[in-house]
Amino acid sequence: MSGWAIFGQAVVALVGGGVVGLIYRGLDRKIAARMQARIGPPIRQPFLDLGKLLVKETVIPKTAVVWLFSAAPFLAVLASFTALLYLPLGPFRPVLEGYGDAILVLYLLAVPALAMALGGFASGSPMGVVGAQRELVMLMSYEFPLAVVLVAVAWRLAELGISPAFSLGTIAAHPLWTQVGPLGVLGLAVLFLVLLVVTPAELAKIPFDIPEAETEIAGGLMVEYSGTYLALFYLADAVRTVVMAALVVAIFIPYGIAGPLGLSGAAGAALDFLFWLFKLFLVMVVAVTTVRVGMARLKVDQIARGFWLWGTAVALGGLLLLVLDKVVRG
Amino acid sequence: MSERDPVLPEVEEKTLVFGGPERALGETFEIPIGPIHPALKEPIRLTFRVRGERIVGVEIRTGFAHRGIEFMGMRQGRNLIQILYLSERICGICSVSHPIAFTQAVERAAGIEVPPRAQYIRVIISELERIHSHLLWAGVAAHELGFDTLLHLTWRVREKVLDILEELTGNRINYAIPIFGGVRRDITPEQYPKVWEALRYYRGLLEELLNAFLNEPTVMARTRGVGVLEPKEAEELCAVGPTARASGLRKDVRQDRPYLAYPDFEVKAITPEDYGLTPMGDVYDKIVVRLLEVRQSIEIIEQALENMPEGEITSFPKIPALLAHLKKAEGEGLGWHEAPRGEVIHYVRLVSGEEAPLVWKVKAPTYSNLMSWRPMFEDQEIADIPIIAASIDPCICCMDRFHIVEGGREKVVAKEELLRLSWEKTRKISAQRGARVPESGGKG
Amino acid sequence: MILKTLISQLLSRPATNKFPAKYMPKSVTKFLQRVQAGKDQIHPPVPVPPKFRGKITYDREKCIGCQLCIRVCPAKVIEFKPEVKKIRMHVARCTFCAQCVDACPVGALGLSPDFLLADTDRNSPNLIVE
Repeated sequence: MSGWAIFGQAVVALVGGGVVGLIYRGLDRKIAARMQARIGPPIRQPFLDLGKLLVKETVIPKTAVVWLFSAAPFLAVLASFTALLYLPLGPFRPVLEGYGDAILVLYLLAVPALAMALGGFASGSPMGVVGAQRELVMLMSYEFPLAVVLVAVAWRLAELGISPAFSLGTIAAHPLWTQVGPLGVLGLAVLFLVLLVVTPAELAKIPFDIPEAETEIAGGLMVEYSGTYLALFYLADAVRTVVMAALVVAIFIPYGIAGPLGLSGAAGAALDFLFWLFKLFLVMVVAVTTVRVGMARLKVDQIARGFWLWGTAVALGGLLLLVLDKVVRG
Repeated sequence: MSERDPVLPEVEEKTLVFGGPERALGETFEIPIGPIHPALKEPIRLTFRVRGERIVGVEIRTGFAHRGIEFMGMRQGRNLIQILYLSERICGICSVSHPIAFTQAVERAAGIEVPPRAQYIRVIISELERIHSHLLWAGVAAHELGFDTLLHLTWRVREKVLDILEELTGNRINYAIPIFGGVRRDITPEQYPKVWEALRYYRGLLEELLNAFLNEPTVMARTRGVGVLEPKEAEELCAVGPTARASGLRKDVRQDRPYLAYPDFEVKAITPEDYGLTPMGDVYDKIVVRLLEVRQSIEIIEQALENMPEGEITSFPKIPALLAHLKKAEGEGLGWHEAPRGEVIHYVRLVSGEEAPLVWKVKAPTYSNLMSWRPMFEDQEIADIPIIAASIDPCICCMDRFHIVEGGREKVVAKEELLRLSWEKTRKISAQRGARVPESGGKG
Repeated sequence: MILKTLISQLLSRPATNKFPAKYMPKSVTKFLQRVQAGKDQIHPPVPVPPKFRGKITYDREKCIGCQLCIRVCPAKVIEFKPEVKKIRMHVARCTFCAQCVDACPVGALGLSPDFLLADTDRNSPNLIVE
């Protein structure tokens, strides 16, 4: 593929990712509102919010470490957009396939969280510091189950002789459900559940939104951000939702419907793409929206203990089931 | 005020830290909560000294919502009927509790009898207000926990009781029902079916609410064992209302010193034992007590409606006669009421020939509950601050007194000085904004 | 569990009353102008019950100038006009307690269901009753 072709595809992916992220955020707010018997904002509201934030004044507190405070939002938005380039987008292979795999996506998902924490520390406000501490604790706690899920799936693929096993394009092209026995299906189901639970933690949504707890520390690590910087964080959050949902879909439910329906070519690709968007929407509604309105916020020690003990145990259990499945099937 | 933050002077380590200076080892820093903070519904300044997430000290500073209402009530030029509406506006949530206590105080001071039907109507409105206040509190507590769905749910069901109050009294808040000698509006037979329907609605809903708050795993994880107030501490700190009852103390003004029509209903104080739990005094118990009190209020209103006596609604139907009687009344009187937050007391001293009282003193329930914050915050985490602060149902506007801290000295501001200061400030701000300057006497 | 409530609320109509419009209009003044011109309409508020305490009404014929209402008003709303022995009321200060209504011996005062009284001028004609 020529460099220009890749560049063109990258631009489409990035802009599309941003637009889809904001639309989905609007849908998330609308559905959450309807679940609470409210009308909710119109679906175009995140665009209006972004526009409003971009025209507001950016205030930098006197006690802030200015270079770090200003760099953090850019870091966050760059990392989350870059992650889009390594994910399979529906029927299309990842734009930068071969240049990076799932491990890179994991890092790119962690960088915005780190950037927010650094921004919180750099802001010089006690609320920001507390929020940043909590974000780091939470980051350390959910990364392990997330890594276990990825490693388990990649290992099983490698055992089946499919490679490169860590590339997300490969993972999406070879769903494991039909290639393992009943123990493996159970193991995959367990890992699917773990990934769905890690999703709101990754995105810092209730019950895991303690870094930004509104009622406790008035916005936590985001409290001193305003104007353009806040707009960048907002955009980064919207895109991370898409990235995380796309990750879930790529690993566990990458099926298309154009094949079974007998369509192919451009029409088939378009239909598959729309179906993929719908799958993203479903993952978001189940893992983010419903959970966000149905639970209270957990404290950071409860989250940390929960993920380190239960999350890791369950994920390792899923891995164990996959191993047993391999042993059983020889 | 001066350039320097006048509210928080230099504080010595000793006074601030729980358990004495030994516990201050290690890095600690201060987190200010308030006066403006999303966790607080009203302005109050809480300064926490924390190590990591553990709270090691707290300092409470009040005075941000003081409006000088008692002073306004004691000035010449106001008669008791006007002051009644001042007392109503001390608080918006416990809005009929203050007039009820005030009217009782004045009735006892002036020797005014109240007909039984009026007492029943006062009880009905008080209990309806208790339902509304506890549902409001439940929603606020859920919001502090991050559970906005319960906030919207409880506030939505609260609309029904507000509609009933609007039907009976003409307004959703500030009901303007009590007057010296009785009540101002009657509950007509056409309104009975609506009230019954609302009560049935709430009875049906109560199970769902109890379930949503008490059996939700995340709510239990956040409230069990959090903000514990031992019964001994509750007694020493003179906690009142659901704050004390959640620790197991059976204290309720309706039970201990019955007034209005409460002797006919035999109200018993509700503690978590009535739900089958051993009282621990934590936030969970406080939720239990308040939701059970909603059920108790429904039962009281049903009893009151069934046994409503006939008769007049006020012993002074003509206002000039009431004003004349009040003007020549002499004596002192104490009025008390079990507001949704606890015991509210009004004291009035009347002098014959004067329309304004000589003394009017209000003791709001949150004033008694405020000090119970200190043991509740001890050794808790920052994440628990909002829910512990909300658990005593603070109504700061009911409660405030005022401190000036100037140059490190503190002094309590007396009434005339407060008035003078507020005039000066208004004149200064009006001059800065080029607006009309109020004339002396504060009018305009 | 809470999930049942969430699903049932998702599938029913929202509980919000859409007064004055469903979503915030881009420009409130333009919206109000369009409503005046009849091109748009305001969703009505929840109806108020009878005997709701709204804006004060005054029957000048019945008034005898006894000034009882002025004695009981807590907010100094009512001003006496000695030359005609009638009153003028500043609705901007009114707390809607209806004590004046109770005090009036001839029933010249009342409270209407009108509560949409927001204005930018204390002395606009809508807020002075005489």
